[in-house]
Amino acid sequence: MAIITSNQQIANGIWRMVVSGAPLGRAGQFFMLRVPGALDPLLGRPISICEVDAETGETTFVYQTVGRGTAQFARLLPRQEIDAQGAYGNGFTLQNGNAVIIGGGIGTAPMLQLAKELRASDPTRKIDMYLGFREEAYLDETFAQYADSVTLNIGGYIVSDVDFSLDATYYACGPTPMLRAAASAADVANASLFVSLEKHMACGVGACLGCTCQTEHGRKRVCKDGPVFDYREVRDAI
Amino acid sequence: MQSNHLLLTFCGVALKNPVIAASGTFGFGHEYTEIMDVSRLGAICGKGLTLSGSAGNRGMRIYETPSGMLNSIGLENPGVQHFVESEAAYMRTLGPAVIANLGGHCEEDYLEGARLLNAADIDILELNISCPNVKAGGMAFGMLPDTAADITRKVKAVSKHPVMVKLSPNAPDLVAVARACESAGADALSLVNTFLGMAIDVKKKRPVFENVYAGLSGPAILPIALRMVHQVAHAVSIPVVGMGGITSAEDALKFLMAGAVAVQVGTMTFANPKAMLEIIDGLAAYCEQEGLNNLQEIVGII
Repeated sequence: MAIITSNQQIANGIWRMVVSGAPLGRAGQFFMLRVPGALDPLLGRPISICEVDAETGETTFVYQTVGRGTAQFARLLPRQEIDAQGAYGNGFTLQNGNAVIIGGGIGTAPMLQLAKELRASDPTRKIDMYLGFREEAYLDETFAQYADSVTLNIGGYIVSDVDFSLDATYYACGPTPMLRAAASAADVANASLFVSLEKHMACGVGACLGCTCQTEHGRKRVCKDGPVFDYREVRDAI
Repeated sequence: MQSNHLLLTFCGVALKNPVIAASGTFGFGHEYTEIMDVSRLGAICGKGLTLSGSAGNRGMRIYETPSGMLNSIGLENPGVQHFVESEAAYMRTLGPAVIANLGGHCEEDYLEGARLLNAADIDILELNISCPNVKAGGMAFGMLPDTAADITRKVKAVSKHPVMVKLSPNAPDLVAVARACESAGADALSLVNTFLGMAIDVKKKRPVFENVYAGLSGPAILPIALRMVHQVAHAVSIPVVGMGGITSAEDALKFLMAGAVAVQVGTMTFANPKAMLEIIDGLAAYCEQEGLNNLQEIVGII
């Protein structure tokens, strides 16, 4: 059981929750968060890690209130407990060399920890961030700490701002149309692209088979075998 | 905490306790070994198998409802042969009794599946005639007494394992189906599978699920499942395993008092992977508090 240290709205419908006592995960992994003892809604919500602070042991989640489950999270107060099961999923594998990170909407959240890990593992690499939002930006100032450049796009298509011909690894998380556009661009430029997928899931550990998708290598579970995949493997899912 | 108070013999198999992981919620055990002590469970029902395997249903598969969930997985599974070759022996190493769940699209699929499972080191075959998510699927067999009895009799004739028939709550006369399965030689019954439900996306003006209907599980169904287990357990003399929305030891006790000798827990494991362990501990504590020598003393007291 984790303890909430803060839980505040940072943009319209976007909340930032910091918890202590959760196992420390890494970029691209997620937790199943659940109000302890709640039977309605019953299931945990898969929320990706936004930031991990190894020194304080705190984990930050940035989540969007989209339904009753996340609306309940938004009502939780500091010092309350939250059931944080995880960290689940494979997470991002840090590739050598320069990085281009593309985040769309709430899909920007896991990219913060990714930028942080990329920066820490190689302070000399170039990290370019591209963040797309429908109406309002968030987290962009925090991203600036870890990136060489941050490009914002509000109300448009962030992928169209990205140059896919660089000698870099591309990482993307966001709505399916954004991932699809990134995949098309990566095809054209023959770029190396890793995408983090999101699907409805009940368990988060690979048992319910609610989130499976067809891949080049047979059926895979987004929660357990992903959520991060080489985009070429999951073309049918995006 | 393990306790002799919880021991039972079920279909000739010794179970440490009456708490069984429900089919379709526990894979073949791999996933949960990483996060809980799987060895403490009474038994594990593996993911529902079909003869040739299946990729499952397309489209949305999971939809949460008040205190429950609809699923339309559609028996995604690697097939019986894969289970026999690659999963059964692994499940045996986990400790709990091993139950294979077999679904089917037609009689011959069931019978060939049952024959193949004779080569597997399992304790019980759970005959799934109640999956609502596969077109022309198992549930068709479980709706009427005659078809349920027929498939039960034929599977019994080819299977060397004890056969527990998993019943559908969607049958118009569940008690009649239960009695028919008993007459056809079923060694035990398990119930209930999921209730046929539906969800509509009003924004898109279309059903959430490609199959339109899906199976409802979770605490929302508990009172109805409990009533059905009570009715069936009092109508047959073979053992009944109860399930449907169990989240706690108290819920498990309700099913036992209603006449089930054991329970299965499914959906709650998704919400809290350790729920079954907490239920086992709670049942042991209950025996202590009530001064029971064995939990089976309360089976069917209502």
